[in-house]
Amino acid sequence: MTDVLSQPGATVRPKSAPRRLSDRAFAVLLILPAFAFIGVIIAWPLVETIRLSFTDARLGGENYVGFENYVDLWNSRRFHSYVWITFYWMFISVLAKMVLGLIGASLLNAAVPGRALFRMLVMPPWVIPIAIGCIGWLWLYNGTFGLLSGVGQRIGIFDGAFPFLAGKTSAFYSAVVTDVWIGTPMVTLFFLAAMQGVNRDLYEAAWVDGAGRWYRFRRITIPQIMPVIVSMSLLSAIWTFNSFDIIFILTQGGPRGATTTLIIDTYKTAIGNFKFGEGAARAVVIVVLLAIFSAIYMFLLGKINKIYGVK
Amino acid sequence: MKTKKFTTLGAALLCATALPAFAESHATEMHFIMCGDDVRPADQAIIDEFIADRDGVTVNLEAVPWANCQDKSLTLAAAGDAPSIAYMGSRTLRQLATNDLVVPITFTDEQKEAFQPGVLQTVTSQGQYWGMPHAFSTKALYLNCDLIEEAGATCEAPATWDDMAALAKQVTENTDAAGVGLAGKDFDNTMHQFLNYLYSNGGEVLDADGNVALDSENTRQALAFYASLQEYAQPGVLEWERDAMVDLFNDGQIAMYINGPWGWGRHNEDINQMVVPVPAGPSGESGTLLITDSIVVFKGTGHEDLALELARALTTGQAQYDLDSSWGLTPIQQYDKLGFDEPYYTTDPKWEVFVSSIPTGGPEPLITDFKSLQAVFVNMIQGALLEEDSIENLVAIAAEELADAL
Repeated sequence: MTDVLSQPGATVRPKSAPRRLSDRAFAVLLILPAFAFIGVIIAWPLVETIRLSFTDARLGGENYVGFENYVDLWNSRRFHSYVWITFYWMFISVLAKMVLGLIGASLLNAAVPGRALFRMLVMPPWVIPIAIGCIGWLWLYNGTFGLLSGVGQRIGIFDGAFPFLAGKTSAFYSAVVTDVWIGTPMVTLFFLAAMQGVNRDLYEAAWVDGAGRWYRFRRITIPQIMPVIVSMSLLSAIWTFNSFDIIFILTQGGPRGATTTLIIDTYKTAIGNFKFGEGAARAVVIVVLLAIFSAIYMFLLGKINKIYGVK
Repeated sequence: MKTKKFTTLGAALLCATALPAFAESHATEMHFIMCGDDVRPADQAIIDEFIADRDGVTVNLEAVPWANCQDKSLTLAAAGDAPSIAYMGSRTLRQLATNDLVVPITFTDEQKEAFQPGVLQTVTSQGQYWGMPHAFSTKALYLNCDLIEEAGATCEAPATWDDMAALAKQVTENTDAAGVGLAGKDFDNTMHQFLNYLYSNGGEVLDADGNVALDSENTRQALAFYASLQEYAQPGVLEWERDAMVDLFNDGQIAMYINGPWGWGRHNEDINQMVVPVPAGPSGESGTLLITDSIVVFKGTGHEDLALELARALTTGQAQYDLDSSWGLTPIQQYDKLGFDEPYYTTDPKWEVFVSSIPTGGPEPLITDFKSLQAVFVNMIQGALLEEDSIENLVAIAAEELADAL
């Protein structure tokens, strides 16, 4: 066997010098803790959830049931309606947050007196703990004692008490309003930060060329902040899809399933009814749906970015 | 000399550090989950006494609101970290027993005879007892006589559903208040409220053999009546659960509603209230839902015997009597037969309504998947209130879903 170090050109390492790691090994060593963390916090629970989804795991034990849980979901009309409700809830809520966030950020970015105060006033819905905010809304929506119903009656919108959370449609849109109220401030602040990073020279040049406010907003602001819009809308969509606390505190998914999204259904099945196997199957479906949704979303937004010339 | 000093000092330090560890190894901390907003003073007194009588025993007592309490105990048990002892609804017992999470309970013949009729059935599954009944309730109809008289009616017990509907109509049409308070929220007591009507119409959920008996004319009549009351009920029935209706009653917004005996003490003193039996339906006699909450002892904690001792201390003799009388509960034991002199329910006339209905009451159905039972009932009731389907279909679907859940 040939000794590598004895070959011509090989570097001779003094016996006392510590052995040096290659750059590659050093890099691997550095990311190892992160890998371990991801493995314990994400990968293992995900693998365990997938495994559970093929069992009838409950309080007292579990048996392998193959694809039975998935077949049941496929054949369940109720589950199909929850899928539809979830995507509709996500679409309406994210759209509202994006539009209101853009409007809010544009207003806060304008040179108006007291701008700093307005920026502070945007924060409370986001800063207040969600549970406390929701309990406040719970009382606002109450038909008998609630402020909204009372004011609505006084100004003639409602004939009598209007219990927002008692009707299927009104309960759904009430939950959307609360979700938008909580989620919009963060979107606004991100858009505001992005708008403040836009080069002022672009606006001045456009202004010199006679471009109006709407034109400047459409052709300069929007393209310049498009990466932030893309990121925020995707993140917001995922958060809204998985939003649990708002719906659960306001309606517990009712009345009669009108506000039952997939995450509420999963919770009720797995934690509420202790059917861990069936709940795990629902969780896996959520992961798959979100992955498909994200892939389609990224593809479409890639196209949009190309149109706006964003890399 | 110096070495000796160090050795002595070292030994002293070792002892000082080892002693707490030794003491800790001989200490027993019991985790007690108590469903409810607060720990009731009568229970607290017994627990304090129990701790004082036993060296090294502590009780980590945790009051958890009913909405989450049972889920918490069951989830902890499922995760292998069960509480030592818990006070929870007896409807959970079958699930706990089926999954081998709690220890069975034994009663002497004397103890069995002391309970009110029907109480022990609420903790029985697979021929064994799984909990020590600790709170018992029957239900009755509370009337706000001021509102009823303001509507031009006489404040007297409506004997039948027709009488009740007529009274509710009269109040609704002649006052600013609603005639009746109804529960429709996605909550367990929506099912409980409905069962009072079902049992007052001769209906049943499960027959004597444990088969589903819900799809009956009695149920259809009860559901139709419950939905028809909505016309005279508070706005937005689907956002109300029974306990929140206490506020409506106190605020003069409803003239009558069904509640347990504790309702009396929670109503404003200035309300001229009357409590009467639940009116009878066309196919039955006045009835009530019999509900108990029990103390259960979980397996695998290593101190099950101690937990059983505490459970017995809380549920027997004077301790149980103090709780029932101070908290306004239907007497869970026949204290008059146990030698108690003039028990609280014999000296106050309102108790007659709650005690006399015990023999005709129906049980809270004991099925393993008790959450599905609740979901099935709430879905049926909300469907009727929202008029989403015919009464016949809603009852048939509920019976089918209940059979699947058994």
